[in-house]
Amino acid sequence: MTVQVPFDLSQLDFAAIAQKERARNRTSPWIVVLSVLLALLWVAPFYYLMVSIFKSPEEYAGSSPFALPEGITPVWANIVDAWTTANMAQGFANSALYGVVGASVAVFIAALAAHGLARFQFNGKTFWFMLIFAGTVFPFQMYLIPLFFTYQQMGIINTKFGMILFYTAVCIPFPVLVLRNYMSQISTEMDEAARMDGCSEFRLFLNIVLPNCWSPMAALFLLQFTWIWNDLLFSTVLSQSTDVRSIMSALQVFQGGYASTSPVVVLTASLIASLPTVVLFLALRKTFLRGISISAG
Amino acid sequence: MSAEDLAAIVPAEMGRADRVARRRNARTALAFMVPALVLVLGFLLMPVVMNVWFSFTKWKRFQGFNEWAGIDNYEKLVGSVNFAAAFQNTVIWVVASLILPVVLGLSLALLLRNMRFEETAKTIFFLPRILAPTAVGVIWYYVYAPDGILNNTLSLFGLPDDVGWLYQDNTITYAIIVTFVWQMVGLPMVLLLLGLAALPKDPIEAAKMDGATPFQVFTNITLPLLSPTILIVVILSVLAGFTAFDHIWVMGTSFPGKKSLSLTVYMYYEGFSNNAWGFASAIAVVLGLIVLAITWVQAIVQDRVDRMLK
Amino acid sequence: MKLDIVKRGTALITLSAMAAGFVASAASAEVVLTHDKSPWQAGFEALGATAGFTASAYPTDQYIAFVQSSIAAGTTPAIFTWWTGSALADVVSSGAVASVDDVWDAAIASGDLPAGVRGLFSVDGTAYAVPINVARWVVLYNKQMFADNGIAEPASWADLEAAAATLKAAGITPFEASVQDGWRGFIWFQEFMIRTNPDAYNKLHTGELAYDSPEVHAAFDMWVDWASKGYFTDPRTTTEAADFAGGSAAMYLMGEWVIGSLGESGMDIGANLGAFIMPNADPALPSQVIVEGGPLLLSASADDAAKAAYAFFVTQEGGQAWADALGLFNGNPKVPAPNGIIDEITADMTAGNTIALQRWWEAVPAAIQGDMVAELSAFVLNPTAEQADMTIANLDAINKEYWAEQ
Repeated sequence: MTVQVPFDLSQLDFAAIAQKERARNRTSPWIVVLSVLLALLWVAPFYYLMVSIFKSPEEYAGSSPFALPEGITPVWANIVDAWTTANMAQGFANSALYGVVGASVAVFIAALAAHGLARFQFNGKTFWFMLIFAGTVFPFQMYLIPLFFTYQQMGIINTKFGMILFYTAVCIPFPVLVLRNYMSQISTEMDEAARMDGCSEFRLFLNIVLPNCWSPMAALFLLQFTWIWNDLLFSTVLSQSTDVRSIMSALQVFQGGYASTSPVVVLTASLIASLPTVVLFLALRKTFLRGISISAG
Repeated sequence: MSAEDLAAIVPAEMGRADRVARRRNARTALAFMVPALVLVLGFLLMPVVMNVWFSFTKWKRFQGFNEWAGIDNYEKLVGSVNFAAAFQNTVIWVVASLILPVVLGLSLALLLRNMRFEETAKTIFFLPRILAPTAVGVIWYYVYAPDGILNNTLSLFGLPDDVGWLYQDNTITYAIIVTFVWQMVGLPMVLLLLGLAALPKDPIEAAKMDGATPFQVFTNITLPLLSPTILIVVILSVLAGFTAFDHIWVMGTSFPGKKSLSLTVYMYYEGFSNNAWGFASAIAVVLGLIVLAITWVQAIVQDRVDRMLK
Repeated sequence: MKLDIVKRGTALITLSAMAAGFVASAASAEVVLTHDKSPWQAGFEALGATAGFTASAYPTDQYIAFVQSSIAAGTTPAIFTWWTGSALADVVSSGAVASVDDVWDAAIASGDLPAGVRGLFSVDGTAYAVPINVARWVVLYNKQMFADNGIAEPASWADLEAAAATLKAAGITPFEASVQDGWRGFIWFQEFMIRTNPDAYNKLHTGELAYDSPEVHAAFDMWVDWASKGYFTDPRTTTEAADFAGGSAAMYLMGEWVIGSLGESGMDIGANLGAFIMPNADPALPSQVIVEGGPLLLSASADDAAKAAYAFFVTQEGGQAWADALGLFNGNPKVPAPNGIIDEITADMTAGNTIALQRWWEAVPAAIQGDMVAELSAFVLNPTAEQADMTIANLDAINKEYWAEQ
């Protein structure tokens, strides 16, 4: 559910946390030992992942899973195998399309709605807000069957267009909440001045309100992009063919059917599928933080 | 001067003007909301209504939802062994996600906040969070394999090393929960670290002056002050645990009883694998009702906590 | 101002509708073959290049749901793969599938299809599918391991048990078996049933015989016995075929279609792989073998382009392209078998007057197939006498509930 998103990745301002914590006490040795043990537990699966992708299927089958690889060359064969078996190029392109278009359109539409909700005084405001916000309340399982059949009837099941429509819709409510709070804190004096000058409402939104909201909007975009990229449920239900399915459902090719793939290839594939969001996160950590500190508070 | 002030001065005249303005505002504001409303109503809220309707109908093979079934689907739920098993597992998930993330997250936060290499340590515990749940499920699927790293480690200590963690009734749910917590705990940890950092120093210092033990300080002062953050952490993880699907779906792939591993998986199985659509819709309605109940409890508790802190 | 937005909103919605229409019409412009056999996608594509269709692969999990709801929505896939047996009867009952008697008549006349398998693809005497895959379920074995231990192809049940005992004593696991991918649980159940009592096996599928019956218990007793002797590999593998290719066991009971995968996993198919039809436990029984037919169906509303693409599958050229691409045999006698083992089994079947039996997977009612196979898999993971009783009880309950509603 999107409810968990607001705090996701948001509070990662490690530097800021560290500053607040400057007044430290001396750490007792047993705490260090305990922490190191826990950290080892946390790192073990990563270690296993990293050594495995450098092994050939035969080497993997014949060695301890902890053993270091004999060389690094098999990784190329594993990447090629993973890439072609799951048709990952297509999955990457599809997920990128859904993520970029879905998240950006959703955030823009949410900004429009937030503008309407935050910057006008009118009756029934709470009702309209609750109506949009209700989109975050129900578990995803309640959407699946009706969406599947409605998409079928409309002929948009298994189409990129249908996927983008849904991802856009599901990514709207949460940004509306965040942006509404954000926009209501921006002074309305400018609005009045602009209206006096005969500026149209839409132009006012585009030229005055929107430029003030880039920072939370960029952060929201990243959050929603990540969500779409990682989604398995809706992609499996609404798309099945190679041309349309997302990268996460492409990974499912390794399970089931008549396929029988070596663990090293499957592990390589899941690492490749995770790379874009990991890279994005590491590169744009600051952007995540800048906008979201407002929403989480 | 605000609209209210004006209305107070010249009630009759300005009141009408205000109403007119409000009506005009409403039209403009709604125009801005149209795209969002269309998409949210069409793709999120209408499916929910349809789902409720489907749950009272019977799917006729190859024809659609065209036969009214009354409460048949719900009656079948009550008597179903698989539903009972799925429900029981879901209860385990909820209890585990009620306790584990907050306890572990708080322990980590307390453990790490005063130590060297705090940054590195936090990054390590947060790292899994960045990966896709599907990818995490795949990695752990092999961690738990009969000849995987878990059994290999156990054998180092002379423990039973041939456990089929993801093949046995009595281990699989707990095994998947461990993976889930492994991935999710970074967030509670960071939220609680922030909460701890924001605590007022005075009451704690005062208590220390009065000779309270660190344990007393923690239980009597730190914990109550931290309760709003704890509440958020608990609600987030309970909802996440209750609706968990990806991890179970991926890691349960070899388990014959996969369909009963949780209500979410059971709903998916009855619908998309077994094509019992009406029945699956009824399971989805049950899921929805429970989520609403959790949200309702949260609102009440939130209210209590807010009042307590005032 | 506000009109501005209303206009934009309307434009957006209109645009969406147009795009939806465009997507829908674009999809119907070409012939699409829909299937759930992802590993065969390359083969379908190769054929499609000649025959004029594109292929779209779906995960098995949702494939049935997809086809069912397509039929409900009146958009039956033009050409699609399905299953024989009760699943075929099920989909035919929707009226959305075309009769292909004409295709069969022509193919039998031209010698492209043997008349003998027509029944497998028919419902009540009318053909609704053509074969894309005919696979016998035989025991594949590692010739090297047999030779090392002085074992010949078993001709009787006693031979087979002796071979298993010899292999086990030599430290080799006799049989490869697993629960990989969730559907394999029925394989040995089906085999023990037909080797002891094929009549009871057939009656299980029509509801005439309960699962909780002496015949089923007898089959499970043999299964438990073999498992307790350590005759089966660890069922918890995800790479069954690769394991066998790598020497994890001496024998592998599986459909012939797996031979291609064994080759890919590095086994020398020509020199090191042999095959035989499993002997019967009851010597009085005639020679028999499970035959799996992969059917290809045609939509009742298929256009001429789709019909032409469909008919290509039964031509010699089509069968040859199919065999070349995937090493699969669609039963066309004019096409040389893709590997020697298929020829060998065909010869054995002719010599032994072998009877073809339907796979459990196709024979069991489609609605309870998933639940039933999960119970069987639970036994494969824990093949003890206590579990056998539980599994039989559960199978019986699911089966009884189904037939009570019919």
